[in-house]
Amino acid sequence: MLKKSAANVAGLVLALFFIFPTYWMVTSAMKPKGTTITSDYDLIPFSVTLTNFITAWTKPGFLSSLGNSLLVTLTAVVAAIVIGITAAVAMSRFAFRGRKSFVLLMLVAQMAPFEALLIPMFLMMRDLGLYEHLSSLILVYFAVTLPFCAWTLRGFVNGIPAELEEAAMVDGCGRWGAFQKVTLPLLGPGLVATSVFAFITAWNEFLFAKVLIRSQDSETLPVWLSGFQTAFGTDWGGAMAASVLFTVPALVFFLIVQRKMVAGVTAGAVKG
Amino acid sequence: MTAVKTTETAAPAGDLPPALPPAATGGAPRRRRRGSAFDRALPYLLLAPALIAILWLIGWPVVSVFVTSFRQLNLGELVRGEIVWTGIDNYVTVLQDERFWDVSLRTVVFTIAVVGASVGMGLGIALLMRVLTPWVRIALQIAMLCAWAMPILASTTVYQWMFDQNYGILNKTLVQLGFDSFAGYSWFSSGTSTLSVVGLLIIWQAIPFLAFSLYAGLVGIPRDLYEAAGIDGATGWQTFRAVTWPEIKSLLMMVTFLSTLWDFKVFAQIWVFREGGPSGESTTLPVLQYLEGIAKSHFGVAAAISVLMMVILGLITFQYLRKLLQTEEGKI
Repeated sequence: MLKKSAANVAGLVLALFFIFPTYWMVTSAMKPKGTTITSDYDLIPFSVTLTNFITAWTKPGFLSSLGNSLLVTLTAVVAAIVIGITAAVAMSRFAFRGRKSFVLLMLVAQMAPFEALLIPMFLMMRDLGLYEHLSSLILVYFAVTLPFCAWTLRGFVNGIPAELEEAAMVDGCGRWGAFQKVTLPLLGPGLVATSVFAFITAWNEFLFAKVLIRSQDSETLPVWLSGFQTAFGTDWGGAMAASVLFTVPALVFFLIVQRKMVAGVTAGAVKG
Repeated sequence: MTAVKTTETAAPAGDLPPALPPAATGGAPRRRRRGSAFDRALPYLLLAPALIAILWLIGWPVVSVFVTSFRQLNLGELVRGEIVWTGIDNYVTVLQDERFWDVSLRTVVFTIAVVGASVGMGLGIALLMRVLTPWVRIALQIAMLCAWAMPILASTTVYQWMFDQNYGILNKTLVQLGFDSFAGYSWFSSGTSTLSVVGLLIIWQAIPFLAFSLYAGLVGIPRDLYEAAGIDGATGWQTFRAVTWPEIKSLLMMVTFLSTLWDFKVFAQIWVFREGGPSGESTTLPVLQYLEGIAKSHFGVAAAISVLMMVILGLITFQYLRKLLQTEEGKI
């Protein structure tokens, strides 16, 4: 009994350790101006305001970099998912020469240390005339997430029995019809999970965003936030509010995926 | 990359059934042999976009980084479009530079420390979660989820604020606790101290994934194994050694491998804190590559650093990578 309560105490201390930066980010963001930078001990906030969020929202560059981040991330992820599905279906549903090497290529490609390709990527984008264009980032993020999407989706497609598709084809569906009406709906949860993780990867990316984009108009949110001292000076409240706004989309997607993971269990039950 | 993560994360709830690829089970290939030319070409048509994209956007840069590392390519050559071959000069330059060895050693030590600490604590928390009262476990899981979901640049900004010299909550708390010397203490005055804060940040964000994956693995261990061990009168440590360890070992190896891949190439956190400073003391290989290549426009030298970086990472992970490829090849 004593052992169990000791474990629980340890668990709660750890929970505090993990939640504290989030707590500190949110409370700092909600402190009235002038009360953030203080020598007083202010672990618990006494008055609360939302003005910092308005400050952050209206800072030059915030909205445009938010828009750029959303554009780049969503485009890259949609492309990676669509092309990833076709590759996953090919790898999982067909027997053909070279299949094995292709699957291994996907596995190796997703482990490639992308950061080590910074120089050739930079040179290539420059040669293509895409340097300073958001399309260069779209291409990079697409390339980073594609092998992972194809590999993961292959796992999910493997989990859906091919017999279901065959049954639909016996009932008169074409190959496309069978895929569209049987496999695709069952693939839903896997699709959501895969795209969320691809989204997070691209949403977080900093090195390439910094190197390939120099002008402020085309900056993505991570790069904009890394230079927050230019925008906020020592206004930590504003910087924290911007961080909260940056976190919200990622957190929402994370919560979605947690739920869909549970749905994945029921989807897996089809195999009976 | 967050890349391989999902496969693992899918495990907690979904756990992909290790189904045989249906193609290998019979029905499909038979049909295709009678199929039209289109049917035979179909898998290749489906693969073509992905294959082209990978060869173009990953394959070519991999070739190009090797090629570039044998060229003299500074801003002048780049603007003029000149191709100047210098053989192994870039490698000689890099390898003769004492700083490169310092930075490499620092990177390896940093990676090992961060991976060791996060995997160790991840396993500890996974084991702990099994004995927690449900509401404590859920509280811990929610807290970890918040840490995990925070974008890297957001968490880096928050840590900068928490570790702020004058108004940071950490120094203020330490002073409240009676450690007066921490008033106005700078956590970023030396490379070791800077890297320790960066390391803490990375470990804090890495543990949730590790703990969740390992916990999923632990939950999957059959109960009766533990009951049997209990009947045999095994102590806690003996049970861990005889029951838990063999069951969790391969998963543990897998997440250690992934963590090594991720932590070795950390750039954003180190750069944002002090740009590799003070006076280059927190510079790691990815930062060095950036400084040489992008800041100084020595693309050839930087490419040589990139190649050496891949070599070092390859040396660290070689054993495991070989085993992984063999296992996966067997599974396909």
